[in-house]
Amino acid sequence: MVIRIAAVGDVHLDEDVVGRFRPALERLPERADVLLLAGDLTRHGTEREARCVATEFGGLGVPVVAVLGNHDYHCDEVPQVLRVLRDAGITVLEGDSVVLECSGGRLGIAGAKGFGGGFAGRCASDFGEPEMKAFIRTTSGIADRLGAALREMDCDVRVALTHYAPVPDTLAGEPLEIYPFLGSYLLGQAIDSAPTGLAVHGHAHAGTERGTTPGGVRVRNVAHPVIKQAYSVFHLGEQSMSSQVSARTGSGT
Amino acid sequence: MSQRDAKTTLPADEYLEADLQRILTENPDIAEQGITVVRRDHSLVLYGEVESDQRREEIVRRVTERFPGVPILADIGLIRTQEPSEIEELP
Repeated sequence: MVIRIAAVGDVHLDEDVVGRFRPALERLPERADVLLLAGDLTRHGTEREARCVATEFGGLGVPVVAVLGNHDYHCDEVPQVLRVLRDAGITVLEGDSVVLECSGGRLGIAGAKGFGGGFAGRCASDFGEPEMKAFIRTTSGIADRLGAALREMDCDVRVALTHYAPVPDTLAGEPLEIYPFLGSYLLGQAIDSAPTGLAVHGHAHAGTERGTTPGGVRVRNVAHPVIKQAYSVFHLGEQSMSSQVSARTGSGT
Repeated sequence: MSQRDAKTTLPADEYLEADLQRILTENPDIAEQGITVVRRDHSLVLYGEVESDQRREEIVRRVTERFPGVPILADIGLIRTQEPSEIEELP
């Protein structure tokens, strides 16, 4: 049995973009069981832009599950953005999860925006000025909730959905100097704390598609400028659903 | 934002490059974090991809307006939105 996952991030909707994705989405129910939106749904995070997201990604015939990105926070209208998206039937995850009954099995999706901090050995620390401590504590709090959500799901296959990157692999192509603003190893550690089948993120427009967590979980950067198509489709097979996934054995790749 | 007059900063230097990068991100009419600025001897080149023709035109208009004395080459594409032609199998 196979679970079919479509995903795209960083679509940055505003009125000038409405209608661009729709033609490619018309046949989505034939191709996927779910569409994941990996944050930066809007350009500035306004209620008006959220309505554009609702128009473009609402009523697709498959469940749509999203997380917000940094752009979606810019205008401090997060409650309004969430209301508009949820009214359109889009599930928005903020450190929580949803389990979908698909023909190939029960798909559990845990999602959170994530945040920055950097990667093991080259990262911000919970030390010093209050601003620095607040920065890294924001990330660790989000990662803790993501890990708990992943571990607690009762499902056949687990998928982690974030905006920020959980590994540096998928940032290749971005300047090294900005890696701490693009993701955090704490997200990867959270993903590795459960037998996760796939981790999907966006945010890194100049990054690359494929990576792996230290625990062996496959990571895909689905930022629209990276995948260069309306969405990518992944078929998760038997191994992703078994308890033998590499996250538990720590085999890596 | 630097208070320097862009007209006095030719050839393009690091501060001008930094000013430009901030405008691309922080100007609400642009708000793009995915545009790369490359400094050449006497000009700046903008690379990247955006979601609409209007956004590309707005970037060129705003940058030219802010740095009237600096030759700007914008090599910015429109991100394609076709259906995927392949599926990735993850066994």
